[in-house]
Amino acid sequence: MKVIADVLDKELIDRNGEPIGRVDGLVMHVGERTQPRITHIAVGGPALWERLHPAFARLSRRLARMWGPKRTEQVRIPWSRVKTAGRDIKLDVEGKETGAIDWEIWISRKIIKRIPGSGGDEEGDGSQS
Amino acid sequence: MSKVLQVTLGLITSIGGFLEIGSVITAAQAGAAFGYKLLWAILLGTLCLVFLVEMSGRLAAVSKHTIVEATRARFGFPFFFIVTIGMGIVAFLVLIAELGGIGLSLQILTGIGFSWWAVAVSIVVWLLMWRGTFSLIENGASLLGLVTISFVVAAIKLHPDWGSAAHGLIPSLPGHDKTKYWFVAVSILGASISPYLMYFYSSGAVEDGWDETYIPINRIIAGIGMTFGGFLSMAVLVGAALFFQPKGIQVDKFSQAALLMTTALPKWGFFLFALSMLFACLGAALEISLAIAYFFAQGFGWNWSEDMNPSRDARFAFTYTIIILLAAVPLLFGIDPVKVTVISMALTSATLPLAIVPFLLLMNDPDYLRDQRNGWLSNTVVSIVILISFVLAIISIPLEFFGS
Repeated sequence: MKVIADVLDKELIDRNGEPIGRVDGLVMHVGERTQPRITHIAVGGPALWERLHPAFARLSRRLARMWGPKRTEQVRIPWSRVKTAGRDIKLDVEGKETGAIDWEIWISRKIIKRIPGSGGDEEGDGSQS
Repeated sequence: MSKVLQVTLGLITSIGGFLEIGSVITAAQAGAAFGYKLLWAILLGTLCLVFLVEMSGRLAAVSKHTIVEATRARFGFPFFFIVTIGMGIVAFLVLIAELGGIGLSLQILTGIGFSWWAVAVSIVVWLLMWRGTFSLIENGASLLGLVTISFVVAAIKLHPDWGSAAHGLIPSLPGHDKTKYWFVAVSILGASISPYLMYFYSSGAVEDGWDETYIPINRIIAGIGMTFGGFLSMAVLVGAALFFQPKGIQVDKFSQAALLMTTALPKWGFFLFALSMLFACLGAALEISLAIAYFFAQGFGWNWSEDMNPSRDARFAFTYTIIILLAAVPLLFGIDPVKVTVISMALTSATLPLAIVPFLLLMNDPDYLRDQRNGWLSNTVVSIVILISFVLAIISIPLEFFGS
C-alpha cells in the first residue's frame, strides 16, 4: 500500500456508514529495534493545519481554546480500527466516540438547533444514530 | 422515476438554469459594443461547458465521488487549500452578484432600491436552503427560470440578420476598442464556464445516487441542455446588438439591459425582463450557495446533503448560512451588482486553470474512472478553451482596469 497516495486525505467512514472527516495526518511509531509502523490516523485540527504551516496550527489551537468544543488534544484513531482502505477508509469505530465529529455536534447543538426548522427535535444530538 | 422523465427534467433544469446575471450582462455588453462579433465567445464557452458538465456527471456516476472529494483525496490538502481560496473568493463574488441581480429585478418591479432588498433577499434564499430539498432547488428554480426563454422571443421579434450573426460565430479581430473587446470576451467565457456549476452538478449526481447506467442520460443532458442554454445567451447578445448598438448605448446599468425587451415586447417587455432576471438570479444564487457549502463539506469530510435536516449536517448548513448572510453586507452598503458581476466573471476566467487542470487529471485517472476515462477529444477541447480563457484573462484584465 502506498501510504500517501492510498491513505492520506481519504474520507473516513465510521461503522454506521457516516463520514467523520478525512485522514488529515498519519502517526508513525519508529522504535529503535522495531520496523517503523503506522499507529494512528490523525483527524482535524492541528494535524491538518500543520501541513500548511506551523503558524496555521498555532492559530487553530488558539481559536479552539476560545471557541468551540473543549478538546485540546489531537483526535487520533488507532490504525487497528481500519477495516478497509479503498477509495474511502472504512473504520470499525463509532464516529461520536472518536472525537472526530465534536465540532459537528457542537455547531449542531449551539447554533443550528437553536434556529427554528432545523429538524433538531427528531434527531438526538446532531450526530448520526 | 423513469429515465425518459429524468432526461426531460434534466434538460429543463439545464435550460431554465443556464442564464444568470453574469451571462446576461456580459452578453448584453458584447452585443451593445460589438454587434454580433463576440458570438464566438459564447459558442466557445458553451462548447467547453458541455464537455465539463458531461465529465462532472461521469465522474460522479463511475466513482460515486464528487469533483471536490476526488480533488482533495488525489492531490492532498495543501493543494486543495489553494483551490479552496481561489474558488471560494470567486464564488462568493458571484453570489453577491446574483443576490444583487435579484435585488435589481425587485427594484425594477417595485421602484424600491436594491440595497433595501439585500437583507430580505438573502433571508429568502437562506430559507429555501434551510427548508428546501435538493430537487426543490434544482427543479423548482429552473422551472421558473424557463421564463428566460422570453429573451429568444425578444431577439427574434427584432428581426436579426442571420447571415451576419453566423459570421459572428467565427472569431474575428475588433476594429475599435481592442482592450474592451478582449475583456468582454474573457467575461463571457467566465460567465459560460462556471466551476461552481460543475461542483453543483457532480454533487447533485451523487445526491441522486447515479451509477454507470446514467452515463448516456448524462451525455444527453449535458449536450442538449447546455447547448440550448448557450442559445439563450446568444439571444441576449443578438437582442442587444439590434437594440443598443445602433443607438450607441453601452450597457453598464441593469435597467438599461431591461430596454432589450421593451422594443420587441412593448407591453410586457420590462416586466418580463425583471421576472426573467429575478428567477434566473434566484436559481443561480441557490446553486452557488449550495456549491460553496458542498465544497467545504466534501473537502473536509463533513456530513453533507441538501436533503438532510440541517441538524444532521450542521457544519454544512452553518457554512451556507454564514456565506448567504455575509454576501448581503456589500449590497446593503450599495455596492453596484453590475460591477461585481463584470469583475467576478473576468476573475472566473483567470482562475479556471486552478479548477480545471486537476479535474482533467482526475478524468484521466483509471483509479477513479476505470474504462470510462476521457477520450482525446474532450481532453483537447477543454485544454484549448481553458488555455485561451486564461491567456486572454491575464492579458486583458490588467489592461481593462489599469491600462489607458
